[in-house]
Amino acid sequence: MHPAGSAAAGTPRQRKWPSKRRIPVSHLGMADPHQLFDDTSSAQSQGYGAQRGPSGLGYPTASASPQAAFLADPVSNMAMAYGSSLAAQGKELVDKNIDRFIPVTKLKYYFAVDTLYVGKKLGLLFFPYLHQDWEVQYQQDTPVAPRFDVNAPDLYIPAMAFITYVLVAGLALGTQDRFSPDLLGLQASSALAWLTLEVLAILLSLYLITVNTDLTTIDLVAFLGYKYVGMIGGILMGLLFGKIGYYLVLGWCCMSIFVFMIRTLRLKILAEAAAEGVPVRGARNQLRMYLTMAVAAAQPLLMYWLTFHLVR
Amino acid sequence: MAFTLYSLLQAALLCVNAIAVLHEERFLKNNCTVGWGTDQGIGGFGEEPGIKSQLMNLIRSVRTVMRVPLIIVNSIVIVLLLLFG
Repeated sequence: MHPAGSAAAGTPRQRKWPSKRRIPVSHLGMADPHQLFDDTSSAQSQGYGAQRGPSGLGYPTASASPQAAFLADPVSNMAMAYGSSLAAQGKELVDKNIDRFIPVTKLKYYFAVDTLYVGKKLGLLFFPYLHQDWEVQYQQDTPVAPRFDVNAPDLYIPAMAFITYVLVAGLALGTQDRFSPDLLGLQASSALAWLTLEVLAILLSLYLITVNTDLTTIDLVAFLGYKYVGMIGGILMGLLFGKIGYYLVLGWCCMSIFVFMIRTLRLKILAEAAAEGVPVRGARNQLRMYLTMAVAAAQPLLMYWLTFHLVR
Repeated sequence: MAFTLYSLLQAALLCVNAIAVLHEERFLKNNCTVGWGTDQGIGGFGEEPGIKSQLMNLIRSVRTVMRVPLIIVNSIVIVLLLLFG
């Protein structure tokens, strides 16, 4: 990987140069009028100046002369050109194939939020009792972006709430002198493991009950991530006001998340007739109702399980 | 329960192993489940299949798909556990 010229002067600093400078160097061999530093090595100033100009990142001139010979070598020029073309090819390959593993375009929909939406959604998570219309608006067969409809699921709030939960857990442990850095990782890992388990259990139940729903996996992750908001509220109140505050706020948030989940999932899982309040008939609808209730009931349980050990 | 992602992976591997070692003959009889013989006729193509046949389908497909990868993953896990405890 090192060009032949580097074998002569082999300080460790030199070997780092190709990898650091490969990306910014886009035009090789172009004489740059604005050199940042005067090149004092007279013999190799030509080739070195041409290499130095475009990158111009402020490398100190003390290292100029030993590297100048290395960089003016045509073999190293070729090596750098080859390296940069390899990097460009690699980038193209990643860009082409990233969509196969991580659905980037689909994820962008879930992050199309603005401040007003976040505010309204947080209000809805804490007080869903007055909200009347829970339908997601559609625009020619695709759901409207969260920016335009407060009922649409998003991933911004769950992601931020999860990170805040880990930080608040660290804060809570710190105030009780129980903190150590690996505990943060343990909290995050544990919460993620519970989330994964929930998602898998719900997907399995949806498959077994053969529900024809447009509830995608990412939607499900978004809905299940909304409970972190209540958990954060509970822990913060527990830090400020002790156990009484914790239980009060957690109880309130549990009720709110329960109602929120039922009202949201009812539209997605249950058939249209049941969603309008008509009493359910038949075993199929009953199973779906049980599933919705089970999912909604699991939220308060998990909220308690993941936070009670943080508040003493 | 489920304290880390790693323990979740372990649990998942053990569950898939459990599905893979189920005894076929005992499930063909009528004592507990509707038969494995769901190859011929899923009891009405217009209706929804019902939980038991969905479960049978799931178990059968998991066994078919995961047979070879399970051998590989189990061997790797055994070697790693022997080496690193």
